[in-house]
Amino acid sequence: MTPERYICVNCGYIYDPAAGDPMNEISPGVAFAALPEEWVCPMCYAPKDQFDPLD
Amino acid sequence: MKPSVASLYQAVELQQEIPPLLIGERANANGSKKFRELLLADDYQACVKIALEQEARGAHVIDLCTAYAGRDELADLTALVRLCAGSLKAPLMIDSTTPACIEACLRLYPGRAIVNSINLEDGGDNLRRICRAAKKYGAAVVALTIDDKGMAMTAEEKVRIARAIHAIAVGECGLRPQDLLFDCLTFTVGSGDATLRDAAVQTMEAIRRIKAELPGCLTALGVSNISFGLAPQARKVLNSVFLHEAVKAGLDAAIVDAAKVIPLARISAEDRDVCLDLLHDRQAPGEKEPLMRFIAHFTARTETPDEEGQGDGVQPEAQLFRMVMDGDKEQLEDVLAILRERFAPIDIINQILVPAMRHVGELFGKGELLLPFVLQSAEVMKASVTLLEPYMDKSEGDAATTVLLATVQGDVHDIGKNLVDIILSNNGYKVHNIGIKVPAETIIEKAKETRADLIGLSGLLVKSAMIMQESMAQFTEAGLTVPILLGGAALTPKFVAESCVPEYGGPVVYCADAFAGLKAVQEFEAGKLTSTAYDDVTAVKAMKPGIRVAEIDRTVSVPTPPFLGQRYVTDIDPSVLFPLINVEALFRGRWGYRRGKMEAGEYAGLIQKTVRPLYEELMRKSLAGGWIQPKVSYGYFPCWSEGEAVLVRADDAVHRFSFPRQAEAPYLCIADYFKSDREGGDVAGFFIVTIGPKMSEETGRLYRADAYHEYHLLHGFSVEVTDALAEYWHGVMRREMGIGGTAAQGIHGVVIQNYQGSRYGFGYPACPDLEAHNPLFSFLRPEEIGISLTENMQMVPEQTTSAIVVHHPQAKYFAV
Repeated sequence: MTPERYICVNCGYIYDPAAGDPMNEISPGVAFAALPEEWVCPMCYAPKDQFDPLD
Repeated sequence: MKPSVASLYQAVELQQEIPPLLIGERANANGSKKFRELLLADDYQACVKIALEQEARGAHVIDLCTAYAGRDELADLTALVRLCAGSLKAPLMIDSTTPACIEACLRLYPGRAIVNSINLEDGGDNLRRICRAAKKYGAAVVALTIDDKGMAMTAEEKVRIARAIHAIAVGECGLRPQDLLFDCLTFTVGSGDATLRDAAVQTMEAIRRIKAELPGCLTALGVSNISFGLAPQARKVLNSVFLHEAVKAGLDAAIVDAAKVIPLARISAEDRDVCLDLLHDRQAPGEKEPLMRFIAHFTARTETPDEEGQGDGVQPEAQLFRMVMDGDKEQLEDVLAILRERFAPIDIINQILVPAMRHVGELFGKGELLLPFVLQSAEVMKASVTLLEPYMDKSEGDAATTVLLATVQGDVHDIGKNLVDIILSNNGYKVHNIGIKVPAETIIEKAKETRADLIGLSGLLVKSAMIMQESMAQFTEAGLTVPILLGGAALTPKFVAESCVPEYGGPVVYCADAFAGLKAVQEFEAGKLTSTAYDDVTAVKAMKPGIRVAEIDRTVSVPTPPFLGQRYVTDIDPSVLFPLINVEALFRGRWGYRRGKMEAGEYAGLIQKTVRPLYEELMRKSLAGGWIQPKVSYGYFPCWSEGEAVLVRADDAVHRFSFPRQAEAPYLCIADYFKSDREGGDVAGFFIVTIGPKMSEETGRLYRADAYHEYHLLHGFSVEVTDALAEYWHGVMRREMGIGGTAAQGIHGVVIQNYQGSRYGFGYPACPDLEAHNPLFSFLRPEEIGISLTENMQMVPEQTTSAIVVHHPQAKYFAV
């Protein structure tokens, strides 16, 4: 199962599990669903519910 | 002698040995498209054929209704009654509310007819006149449980009105109890409207009680109303099951499409159970709602073709409901005209339109309907109410819950507030929207004047949140106690709970969006509205993204700008901005076309077929209308940092920009990206850009014209075009400073700041204080390009943005 990318509907930032999110200290390989509840968009700080699946 | 009606050819007992009496409903200009078309074509013979067909299908009595706007009801009805009298074995039901028509028909009908109908809407005048005619000509009468307050919804109300009618019809006019057929009406359980979940229960209870408490009286019912809003095949089954249940409760006569009644024996136990759960509003713990189970159950079945063919008999109530759901205004005037023949306008609003909008809201809440579609539905609602207004009593709707809406002092943003207005006013509430930049004193004054039941305050700025907090004490002092709803980008539940709630006597509630606002108003009506609370222990504390340690390189070379000082640029071609528009943020974020539960293919189809064309249309219209007029005031200025401030030399004066520092590691502050005086000083770029006032004028025009959907789309578009202009100009300045780099950007590159340096917009997370606009305005002088400031330093027109442009390679967005 290819890990799904998610896009921030507020600013367009794309979370790619293959890349992780260094700004929030998330290592590569973490699926979006597995990101903690407190995780926010590293660019615009929007919460998880502001993300749409991209693929 | 058992109560009976008769045609020229036969008598028919009203209380059939195997109930109910079936009254065929299809010869009705309002209820049947086919019948209506034949009538409009003056094809009386074909109309009679429809009556005969029903007889063949098992109808005991035939309902005849020719009331239609523009037609001569008297002429049509008397002609058809004459023709039917000669050809039909089944007795007739004269369906009219015009006393003159009824009298004329009763006079010439050679049998015993039923009059459909009387009610107490006008207090009893028409009722008395029709009852006297019924007494004189020996007719039976259907009595609806409607009084001047509208259609009775609870069993208690239905029975009360029935008693009142009984007192006049039997007590005064001398009819016998068995001359009366009480129709206590039923509302749909298919809309998902929570207030109608027990509609069937109320109806059956009313039937039971009328039979018990008004002995000798009979009962009738238009059965198919129970199911409108549902799919045709499902309706057939539900109607049939409901008919059976109603008969068990004591129903004597049912107004139906006789061809569509399915005997209970032919309905599977599964179908029957799912219907019974819905009708009796039964839900075992752990089960889904009965309506959801019903819909799921019937959707899973393969559709069998309708015996009668498609398209006929779609009742106007169902049609209007569907039109709201689909956002379809095309035949609105016609459908409303038909409904007005039978329903009071206030009932059309309260019994069809408001439940439809509620259902729309519920679907939105479940992620099954997207915001732009909600707005299209709201447009249908608004258009309907506007069309109905001339026919309504001034006093009707005065009882509706009233909400006062305002954007607070010094703030011009109103897209959020206006969306609340749209949603609340199209859900049956009375909204007084007093606009933008409203001081607290005016809010207090208007709240008292309008006797508002709730006050809603909105504001974009951080400053506006402060103003809301300060206003709480003022409101309390002024004696206000009504609930206050607060909305705005800078608000959080924590702020409202800790800083606003304690300052006010009534409930203070944080509302994240218009639907939260709607929910709050509904909770208020249910007596359940409470202030927002914040529990520090359980609250989710957002992460703070960004580097953890900052070692700002103090040796970065300072670029040489092409000039020092301020310049205007007013010749930018709007179309250069379009490639920079962040369409994902526009479509998904501003417009609300989110993926939700859609599959990738389905969503791609939505974007390609619906959203992209709308976007292209807006680009076309904007260019053609000259709505995008990009103007820039910008410049490069010598500067140096001093602690947390950047001092800027412009026009032979020094201007101070103070920036906040993060309270936690890495303790970033914008001033850190600039060299101090001792380090040799630096250069800072600044800009203020606008796309001009035309967009605001155009969106204002659309809003006032109730074009909600276009208003919403154009406003979102204007926000993203302004942002594109800021991106564009930032790019120009990077190139001018020689730090543009060769990285191809694209929107994605821009989103993650794949370039050197950063721009920081005043009012945004790294520099939330708009006080910076004071010095900025003094040396950029944007008044020349039509930009001004509100008393809270917000820029006008709305589609304007400002920034400090930092060249330092380590500068990126951060939040303080």
